[in-house]
Amino acid sequence: MENKKKSIWVFGDYRNYYQNRVTLQLISKAMDLAKAIDAEVCALVFGHEIDEWIMEYTAHGADRILAIDDPALKSYSTEQYLAIMEALVKERDPEIILIGATDFGREFAPRLAKRLQTGLSADCVGLEITPEGLLVQIAPSFGGNMLAEIVTEHHRPQMATVRPGTFKEIPHDNSRKAQVERLPLMKGLPAPRVRLIEYERCAEKEHSIENAQVIVCGGRGMGNKNNFAKLHELARILGGGVGATRPVVYAGWADHDALVGQAGKHIKPKILFSFGISGAIQHTAGLGEADFIVAINKNPQATMMKMADVAMVADAGDVLNSLIKELKKRIRE
Amino acid sequence: MLKLVVCIKQVPMVTELPWDEKTGTLRRDLAPGMMNPACKHALEAALQIKEKYSAHITVITMGPPTAKEVLYEALAMGADGTLLICDKILAGSDTYMTSWILAQAIRKHCANVDLILCGAFTADSETAQVGPQLAESLNLPAVAYVEKIEMNGRILRVRRIVDNFRETMEMECPALVTVSIENYLPRYVGLGGLQSAFGENQIQVIDATALGIAAADVKKQGSRTKVRRVFLRKTQKENEYFTGVAVNVVNEFLNKYERKISTVIGKSIEGKERTRGK
Amino acid sequence: MQFNPCMKHKLIRDSARHFAETELAPIAAEIDKNATFPVAVIEKMKKLNYFGLQAPKEFGGAALDSVSAAIVVEELSRVCAAVGLCVTVHNGVAVFPFLQFGNKEQNEKYLPRLARGEMIGAFSLTEANAGSDAGSVETTAVKEGGDYVLNGTKIFVTNGGVCDLALIFALTNTDRQQLQSSVFIVESSYEGFLRGELEDLCGMRANPVSSLFLENCRVPEENILGKLGMGMKIGMTTLDNGRIGVAAQALGIAQGAFEAAVKYAKERQQFKKPIASLQTIQNYIADMATEQAAARLLLYRACELKDAGQPYGCEAAMAKLYCSTVASKTTSLAVQIHGGYGYSKEYDVERYFRDAKVTEIYEGTSEIQRMVIARAVLAKLTL
Repeated sequence: MENKKKSIWVFGDYRNYYQNRVTLQLISKAMDLAKAIDAEVCALVFGHEIDEWIMEYTAHGADRILAIDDPALKSYSTEQYLAIMEALVKERDPEIILIGATDFGREFAPRLAKRLQTGLSADCVGLEITPEGLLVQIAPSFGGNMLAEIVTEHHRPQMATVRPGTFKEIPHDNSRKAQVERLPLMKGLPAPRVRLIEYERCAEKEHSIENAQVIVCGGRGMGNKNNFAKLHELARILGGGVGATRPVVYAGWADHDALVGQAGKHIKPKILFSFGISGAIQHTAGLGEADFIVAINKNPQATMMKMADVAMVADAGDVLNSLIKELKKRIRE
Repeated sequence: MLKLVVCIKQVPMVTELPWDEKTGTLRRDLAPGMMNPACKHALEAALQIKEKYSAHITVITMGPPTAKEVLYEALAMGADGTLLICDKILAGSDTYMTSWILAQAIRKHCANVDLILCGAFTADSETAQVGPQLAESLNLPAVAYVEKIEMNGRILRVRRIVDNFRETMEMECPALVTVSIENYLPRYVGLGGLQSAFGENQIQVIDATALGIAAADVKKQGSRTKVRRVFLRKTQKENEYFTGVAVNVVNEFLNKYERKISTVIGKSIEGKERTRGK
Repeated sequence: MQFNPCMKHKLIRDSARHFAETELAPIAAEIDKNATFPVAVIEKMKKLNYFGLQAPKEFGGAALDSVSAAIVVEELSRVCAAVGLCVTVHNGVAVFPFLQFGNKEQNEKYLPRLARGEMIGAFSLTEANAGSDAGSVETTAVKEGGDYVLNGTKIFVTNGGVCDLALIFALTNTDRQQLQSSVFIVESSYEGFLRGELEDLCGMRANPVSSLFLENCRVPEENILGKLGMGMKIGMTTLDNGRIGVAAQALGIAQGAFEAAVKYAKERQQFKKPIASLQTIQNYIADMATEQAAARLLLYRACELKDAGQPYGCEAAMAKLYCSTVASKTTSLAVQIHGGYGYSKEYDVERYFRDAKVTEIYEGTSEIQRMVIARAVLAKLTL
């Protein structure tokens, strides 16, 4: 360990690399933050046969990589990662730890923060540095349309999980160099108590709406289950998928798989149709990467309408019916 | 008999509470409370374990006296015991503090717990932190976002789908799971159950002192984070409004964006004869 | 008298509402349109004690207080009045008479099955020439050995098409000087118990309202509810209770229509603003809200008097009169606020509007309620 240069750590969550590039996005943002506090950006990679990720993180801007490559780390393990992180943090004292708000990140980060007895903001949508060098964590708050600026004043490291899609990754650049520290797996770590028996990638999930070009989302404004079901017809015509808000999922109009938002899918369609959705942040949290939004709502004041590129002030069911009819006509002709 | 603890939270009934811009506070008065949905799924999971393997279920919540309501509901659904942690000095606890308090309560009142179940996230904050942090506080093995729980003696086998992976895991009791809303659809609350819950049961209420929590602890375990400012997120962008009868609105829209849509869907909807919108 | 709902009442309301919104809301319009009785949902309701609201625990009931029972009926009716009707009739005028008048054997035989919904009950007083005028009933019960033989026709029997048990009001002495009526417990399986076609009604169409024909229907003597000759007493007492149920039902309908109207007024844009910002609409909303609040207090007062064992007939009549009046007015205004859409079956208020009307008619018309109230007032020694 040389000098006391501050360090911003980015946890390498590589398991879903092709669907989810949040680690790269965080490295990019960490580079900005690092300038403000004169720190280095350090990516962490734990696993087995992880050279691919070491190279990726290097090419995407990390100054340093802390890598532990060990067969015992072949699959993700919260407990082992916790033990490793605890040891590393004690030894190296990072200023900031950023973790992608993936399912794994959101399970792992709270435990890590608790173990390190520090604060954590969940699912941040913005990060800034104050003139005093504090990390400002901008996180959705109060379950409404509010954002809170949160700081961790007296405890270190400052920790945040960050919503995928919040920041842009920098382009891949093979000429970049990072200091790669390959560390041995620490001796004497407690054996993990949670044993992974089976795991498999769910193919059906990969074809889910997370990767669809066109998504048709519906909310309570669809009125009932039957009207909601018609969204599938529009999605079929457009070659896209159907998404839903939480009230709709709870009402049983749509499967949980269709849930878009903070607790569900983060989508990135080229065109998003939003039918009868008011735009609670739990839902809009999942729309950060939607290119072009068409919202349909009787209420022009709805948040969703204000977020949209095109806002149709009309009954969602009527517009849906017309759209299906018109598109069928135009495509057939 | 298995000892289960379910940690539940009372949340506002609507997800989108109006914000009073004048006073800068949430209009919590406009929405009554309810049991957080994911917590209800966790309770359902516990009830199904109870039906299959026989168990005693204690339900714990922290909140104002009105939070008793969700405990009565839990009793009506089939829980056996309840605990309300209620003290003004604990108000405003963040997840760090909350998990510590819950851990204190479980150590003191449910020392021999076999399995703790929490909702995977709450409808009002969705931080999803309390469950994992409670496991950390009690040094328990834990799995989040669980969809299915089976028990074989003291071995818990759980399934979940996270980040596109279907996983099956095992751990030994005592342990903690957070339950997702994928499965364990909560049963309806029977009317007779509700009547009995109020007739026969007393909600056990404990304050900070009873838990051995002093003001100094509150300070020491207190919030690690500080909210500097809360603001309305900006949503307005330059956008275009179409109003009128649905069919006209749709045609106007399709005419204007026919190229864009055609490109994205890979089928042409352009240049067809039709009524032109304005 | 408590003016704030207690925790139990709130939870009862939440639970019933959750059930109604999940199970009934998706089918309410359809079962109204097709006049079908939602058997699958009713089966679920049986398991959740909806058919034993106030029956004691030992008979498998929920043993609710009367305010709780009213809340349940309100919440069902707020979403689907026809199912609310099924429940309130079963509990209010079929189970209730057993609780009040049934002897040990009768209660042990029938209450568990009624309370668990294994038997759906009906109450039949009304005939072509007798409604509120119970004395004009023409159905007769003639003793033959250990049985009574019933003959006559009952009309507009709520739950008639599906009931497994009907309480039949019949004359046991037709001598004008010694006119005597009794109530018979008649199982639908008895020979001579026949159902008519389902009525094609304006509202509450999902409830199988029908006529019942008794053609030499033999009923064992032990099936006389209470005692021989108690017909009038049972009838009047039961109607008092039934009125509480209809009041609750009317209030639920009003609530449903009111919520739909407020939601619509906030969404519907005219003159570039929501119509809820127009003073005329605001006046409607204010009146509807106030009247419903007043109606609710009247209803719960009748319930509390009943539970306290005090006379509540006059209060039940007031609650029924006022709640049904409010229901009719509110549903009419809800249609008005919806404009043309409100007159269309696309919107629920059209159904509420049709459902509300009958609450002013059955279980004693508004005119009869006024008569009951006036008699009670005039009989008082001090006002």
